[in-house]
Amino acid sequence: MQFDLTILGPYLGFLGQGAVLTAVICLLSLAGAVVLGMLVAIARTSQTAWIRRLAFIYVDVFRNIPFIVQLFFFYYGLPEIGIYIDAITTGVIALSIAGGAYASDAIRSGILAIDNGILEAAEVSGLSKRITFTRIVLPIALRTSVRPLGSVLINMILTSSILSTITVNELTGQAKIVASDTFRPFEVYAVLLVVYAALTWLVSIGISHLHKHLNRDLASEAA
Amino acid sequence: MLKVENVKKAFGAATVLDGVNLTVSPGEVVSILGSSGSGKSTLIRCINGLEKLNGGRIAIDDFDVAKPKELAEARKRSATVFQLFNLYPHMTTLQNIALAPVEVLKRPRAEVEQEARALLASVGLSDKVDAYPAHLSGGQRQRVGICRALAMKPRYLLLDEVTSALDPEMTAEVLAILAKLAREGTTMLFVTHEVEFARQISNRIVFLDKGVLLVDLPTEEFFAASGGLAQPRIAQFLSKMKKD
Repeated sequence: MQFDLTILGPYLGFLGQGAVLTAVICLLSLAGAVVLGMLVAIARTSQTAWIRRLAFIYVDVFRNIPFIVQLFFFYYGLPEIGIYIDAITTGVIALSIAGGAYASDAIRSGILAIDNGILEAAEVSGLSKRITFTRIVLPIALRTSVRPLGSVLINMILTSSILSTITVNELTGQAKIVASDTFRPFEVYAVLLVVYAALTWLVSIGISHLHKHLNRDLASEAA
Repeated sequence: MLKVENVKKAFGAATVLDGVNLTVSPGEVVSILGSSGSGKSTLIRCINGLEKLNGGRIAIDDFDVAKPKELAEARKRSATVFQLFNLYPHMTTLQNIALAPVEVLKRPRAEVEQEARALLASVGLSDKVDAYPAHLSGGQRQRVGICRALAMKPRYLLLDEVTSALDPEMTAEVLAILAKLAREGTTMLFVTHEVEFARQISNRIVFLDKGVLLVDLPTEEFFAASGGLAQPRIAQFLSKMKKD
């Protein structure tokens, strides 16, 4: 067999469309996962026992079920009870819910890492719980959670390839089509390997820079 | 008036405060002395509502800190400066100082920020308005902590071992600010190990030992041979502090 990448030339635009769809799905899912993760992290640090338990069950359930099973349940299972959602929306929802379970862990760790003295200072100065959370807890927790949230995003990029199983033609879905068109799966999937590796590598570099930027004022220089 | 009446506090089986009574009137500077574990910091934490009482009552200008609705009013009248500064690390010094006056007292931001700048200038930090806590020395951080407390225009300033985490040079910086506040008539309840400084600025000295208030005396009387020093425990404490 001769390794010939030139056969992919006519399909670069087609694969590019898939890559763009992967990026859009992942960014939407990340936003969903962070919002959901934030709510669940708040619930998991709640003083009300049943709220904490509910949040714990959500995290436990969605971290312990294979993503493909969750996805098939949403896409093939829900229509049985009259709930129809298109493939891309299903993908975003499923990734958001699964990612939310992991994001909640990252954000919760950020919340728990906040020095209790800072919270006491807020409390004795009379700040309400809402202001304390939105102005102090969340900004600090998100800053310290940037790296673990980055891992959630990277995991999301990798997991998004599974969406091709429900007809979403993201990067892997498009690649499957190119492979069946050209009968050259070796070249197609070799390129896919490199593209995913490059994508996640770039994202991890970006996350590292974002972490440094957001935490630039938290690092001690004097004292 | 700040009133502490027969206050009891225990952590599990350990009694930390046992029937403490104390009154601080506006304009007074009262220092609380005592060895580590005597209950000094716990008393401050009970006064600012961070610890629930097991008995007794604490009222700030007649607002009972044990009642949630009155605690909010009590906290508007008092402000705490902490040993480890507890500044908000993601905010500049100006933001640290302005947050509570804007959000709690609902004062206009521009006016609060102008006062915050003046406060920072008064403690020699006018060039640190936009600095973050991590970029300040310990002494500078504590000065910002004092400014943050003063920005609430408290009737009572509670200071909990505010120099314990500082080296001698930085301690001197902070004590100079507190001496200035005392001269200006700021009401202070001051937990400290700085015996000589307490002697210089206090109207009264309170001595706690194992959760019990042993004496509450005017400063001169506290250090007089026939006053506080007549108590063997206090004489022993002061003698040890001199050696240290």
